[in-house]
Amino acid sequence: MDIKEFRVKAFEKALEKGCDNAEIYFVNGEDLSVACRNGELEKYSVSRSYGINLRVQIGNKQGYAYTEMLENPEELVARAVDNAKAVETEDVHPMQAKCIYESVPRKEYEFTTLSEKEKIALAIELEKKAIASDERINKVVSCNLVTGIMKTGLYNTLGLEAEREQDMAFSYVLPVAEENGDVKEGMAYRTGDGILDVDGCAKEAANNAIEQLGAESVPSGEYSIILKNSAAADLLEAFTPIFSAEAAQKGLSLLNGKEGEVVASDIITIIDNPMHEINPRAFDDEGVPSKAKHVVDKGVLKTLLHNLKTAKKAGVESTSNAGRSASGPIGVSPSVFYIEPGDKSFDELKNQMSNGIIINDVSGLNAGINTVSGDFSLIASGLLVENGVVVRPVEQITIASSFFELMKNIIAIGSDMKFGIPFGATIGSPSLLVKKIAVSGK
Amino acid sequence: MIDKRIAQEVLDAALESGGDFSELFMEDTTGTTISMANGTVENASYKRNCGAGVRVLKGTRSAYAYTADMSRESLLWAAKAASAIIEGNDKYSAKDFMEKKYSITPSVAFSQIDNNKRIALMKQAYEAAKSYSAEISQVTVRYLDVDKNIFVCNSNGVFASDRRPRTRMAIQSVASSGTEFQTGFEGPGLGMGFEAYDKIDVCAAAIQSAKTAVTMLHAPECPSGIMPVVIDGGFGGVIFHEACGHSLEATAVAKGNSVFCGKLGQKIASDKVSAVDDGTLKGEWGTISIDDEGTPSTRNLLIENGILKNYMIDLLGSRIMNMPVTGSSRRESYEYAPTSRMTNTFILAGEDDEDEMISSMGDGIFASRMGGGSVNPITGEFNFAVSEGYLVKDGKIVSPVRGATLIGKGSQILLKIDRVGKKLWLGQGMCGSVSGSIPTNVGQPRIRVSEITVGGRG
Repeated sequence: MDIKEFRVKAFEKALEKGCDNAEIYFVNGEDLSVACRNGELEKYSVSRSYGINLRVQIGNKQGYAYTEMLENPEELVARAVDNAKAVETEDVHPMQAKCIYESVPRKEYEFTTLSEKEKIALAIELEKKAIASDERINKVVSCNLVTGIMKTGLYNTLGLEAEREQDMAFSYVLPVAEENGDVKEGMAYRTGDGILDVDGCAKEAANNAIEQLGAESVPSGEYSIILKNSAAADLLEAFTPIFSAEAAQKGLSLLNGKEGEVVASDIITIIDNPMHEINPRAFDDEGVPSKAKHVVDKGVLKTLLHNLKTAKKAGVESTSNAGRSASGPIGVSPSVFYIEPGDKSFDELKNQMSNGIIINDVSGLNAGINTVSGDFSLIASGLLVENGVVVRPVEQITIASSFFELMKNIIAIGSDMKFGIPFGATIGSPSLLVKKIAVSGK
Repeated sequence: MIDKRIAQEVLDAALESGGDFSELFMEDTTGTTISMANGTVENASYKRNCGAGVRVLKGTRSAYAYTADMSRESLLWAAKAASAIIEGNDKYSAKDFMEKKYSITPSVAFSQIDNNKRIALMKQAYEAAKSYSAEISQVTVRYLDVDKNIFVCNSNGVFASDRRPRTRMAIQSVASSGTEFQTGFEGPGLGMGFEAYDKIDVCAAAIQSAKTAVTMLHAPECPSGIMPVVIDGGFGGVIFHEACGHSLEATAVAKGNSVFCGKLGQKIASDKVSAVDDGTLKGEWGTISIDDEGTPSTRNLLIENGILKNYMIDLLGSRIMNMPVTGSSRRESYEYAPTSRMTNTFILAGEDDEDEMISSMGDGIFASRMGGGSVNPITGEFNFAVSEGYLVKDGKIVSPVRGATLIGKGSQILLKIDRVGKKLWLGQGMCGSVSGSIPTNVGQPRIRVSEITVGGRG
């Protein structure tokens, strides 16, 4: 059975079983992933995957069922109907009707013209160049390159037929620097056509490792810090659930009901733009046409991120932020979500800070943050700055604060915008100068 | 799950380009997830994952191809795609199969349970947490069950299937003062059918999550600095999982990416520490009958009285390290090639008194509930969050503290464990690594670390 036949049968069966509406969210993709080691291809993986996520609505209730087996649509419908009957919430989740989207041409990438062999060669070259870039680099922990194409289709009994294709690529390398028994790991990544920038990526990763050699902790206390762009983006990404109207409506975000209030320093503007050129899409994961919006404008919260369900409950329009995994229910997710860059160069930020720490990296984001309370406490590493000059590397410290406090303590913003690896959402930030934060060290 | 002739054909096709080992992995997994907020069912979903992956090895090079389509044509595509980058002159062919069937057979299969039963349990948990205190503003409950059926065959003659049911209830309580939120989390689970809930006390777990949230709401910020820390049993074992377990996986060791490389027979922990990875425990969250390469799981003694005894080793790791496999090769699904992972990994019970280790600690922190953590296996640096902590002054618990994290290096912390309690228990988690997210148990008795860096902002 092909997907179209499966779809037609599933819809027929759902309507026959008394469903008011039915929808199929179909994702299929092809990926290539390579890892190399010691100048040779070490791991190679290719895939063809697909999955069908059925949603049915009976009155105000809806249920989901997912399968990777293109047979027996009747059973899938029965499962979804069962699940709809189990649902108790009276919150209405409108289904997007047939509509016309702004045309978003599929972004053209140079990497899509590369052969498999050329991609493997690119990964091997990345490893080689990282090792060759400095004599203190003696090995690479991992060096990977991934490319893929994902096709998404959204169809429902209201006549919606929306399809999109997205190409994706990223590469990363983790070289290890060693000097006088001290071992440090560096990391750099590139996305999209950036994977062709082997020299830049190798050099950046090697530098990240080398500049940490000889790192020590600092005495505990309050410090000014510069959160470097990639670290700031990582932190922002970890805290995106606080901007979800779904979390807010459930009392799981302190931003609930704070629209119109000051939630950040007045130099902070946060934008969510699904049409942004870095990863554009015409519609969200329930088919709502994409809209760009200011989430925070000069420190004032303008809107939370909504899907059709949370928007209905709040009496507003969806912000086109429905998000879902291939198999899960519809939730809320940012699209291309970023802090608007300022006009300061990194050196200007450093001079303005004068004394403090440049935080290059934060880790432990899965453990050290709590999106409900807003608190975080994270391992960090970076560089100690005195009188505007880098004096030595720093490690084994934690920075701790609440996300809300941090947002209010930002006093300058860099111009060096950086986006993370696009997994669904793409999160970005420039470097941020933070007036003070608690640092625990020795 | 497959005809033997087709399996043979696929394995042979995968060896055609000169590989010395080929493997076919298939799975058919079904599961139900239900989520509840404020006592109301919000979502219910059913999921069936099925597909196949073909792996080809030549020496230490590995190639993998997977597909959701399990037809013969598609399996042969995967065999060809994987072998495409393998080059060799030697020609191997698959050995005759030795068929073996394994199963953790549930007393009550999830397919026999209707949603009302699941929801009734969730409501019990909700009520228990909600009624703990007026300060509990929200309780979210997530129920999940999974019935995983896997099949693996390879060119060495393995032809084995396994069934792995598991279920878990994740309860998060939020306590609110109006302007501040604090959370508590408990997620008990077992590797068995719905009969798991004869053993799991969901109300006790719910009450504990509510207690953590309310206690933390009234807690001052944790001070920072270097101090002794007592870590309670159960999920407290996440310290060992992060600080040591990951660095004992062949994934890290075989590449020389672990601080414990070349340390077999050497002292890596205090004399009081013995630890195992045990995939054979009956009905536990991390238990498997066979691993995802078809090797029966084992009780693997990792550390004995402080001496490093063994690593966790998969087939590829065993080739590089020249050591036998340990039944530790795991993957989230057919979408991942397998690698060495943990199952149920814990510090064994010792002989120290649980109360004495606090009363004799002087000033420090008692971490009674731990959150998650992470580690860099290269440097051994780890961090983990204390979700319910208490300040100890002069051997007495004086007040709760919030926002603490414990940071350090695995190689150092193991040597600083100066007390290991008598009573061992386990805690459930999902562990993420190169072969995806898999269910694992952590565990330990109550232990004390003589000094560790505590991060906080008090």
